[in-house]
Amino acid sequence: MTIERLDLFSALAAKRTNEVVITTMTATLQWPLVSEHELDFDFLAFGMGHAADFGLGLALARPERKVIVLKGDGGLLMSLGSLVTIGRYGPPNLLVLLLENRNYEMTGGQEFAAGVDFVTVARGAGVANVERIDDLGSFERELPRLLTEPGPHFIVLPVTNSEPLPPVSHTDHSTRVTNLRAALGVG
Amino acid sequence: MSGVSAAQTVTIIKDLGFTDVVSIPDGESRHLYQALIDDPEIEVYLPTREGEGIALAAGLWVGGRHPLVVLQNTGLMEAGDAVRGCGIGPSIPLLLLVGWRGYPAASIGALPVDSAYPYTEPLLRAWEIPHRRLMSDEDLGAIGEMAAVAAGTSKPAAVVYGYAFTP
Repeated sequence: MTIERLDLFSALAAKRTNEVVITTMTATLQWPLVSEHELDFDFLAFGMGHAADFGLGLALARPERKVIVLKGDGGLLMSLGSLVTIGRYGPPNLLVLLLENRNYEMTGGQEFAAGVDFVTVARGAGVANVERIDDLGSFERELPRLLTEPGPHFIVLPVTNSEPLPPVSHTDHSTRVTNLRAALGVG
Repeated sequence: MSGVSAAQTVTIIKDLGFTDVVSIPDGESRHLYQALIDDPEIEVYLPTREGEGIALAAGLWVGGRHPLVVLQNTGLMEAGDAVRGCGIGPSIPLLLLVGWRGYPAASIGALPVDSAYPYTEPLLRAWEIPHRRLMSDEDLGAIGEMAAVAAGTSKPAAVVYGYAFTP
């Protein structure tokens, strides 16, 4: 089973309140179609594969606030060691939602090694709460728990996409940072 | 040969207000790493690779912490995309304490020259990351100087240490 990606984003946007949501790469280009929030942070072009690493740092710095990282599986492969770091330091307020489509979508859909099992890899890296959610109904049921239960959580979500992608938009990096710090009340 | 006191360095790091250190230790920084681990006022994070560490530090800074990154020159080379994307591009003022592998031997003309040696300062210059050298306790002011440069420019700055830290 798989989840239509835009439906997943809509379900998350409907339940999200004051959590930071970090997005990155093609896997999350559709997020702005369902969300316009001062705590949305577009990590695109900040460093290949490093969205969860950045999210880990932000979650450690802001323990009172949930930090959600939406990233693709190809991006995770670019910084796979970060799972070990999340396993060691991952704070209760970190929620990583891994969008699994098993290819490098940004560059044309090249498939990567078919045998990779991200649940097993994350558990083996020491991440405390690893789950696989295969359908939209289950995601909608489990989401309130994931937004409130102490983590860290690493959730593997098999996704497909049948909707057109919005164009890539490279906005000013510094402004993105300034806006997020302002929204967090960081001087 | 010379070296820098890890204990004095930790004191300076705390006096400058650094709250966290993200570090992948090298042979030259192991005493500094241990001194940081032993200090309850500093949070120390050990990532698996340097690019990951730069992104982690950037997240800490965006969240309001004041991180220092300690890495070897080889790790700096590995972390290039993260330095660009999480430091230079978004104007995040990370201070990098960079171990200069190859310097002690090269500085006395010993052969072979470590291939990490000649590219360290040119790489920093290419990225327009200002830096100072830290070769002895007399140079410890370089840490505060470059921390001020990073804060003043909202860009990364670096201090390059050439010899192993002493306890």
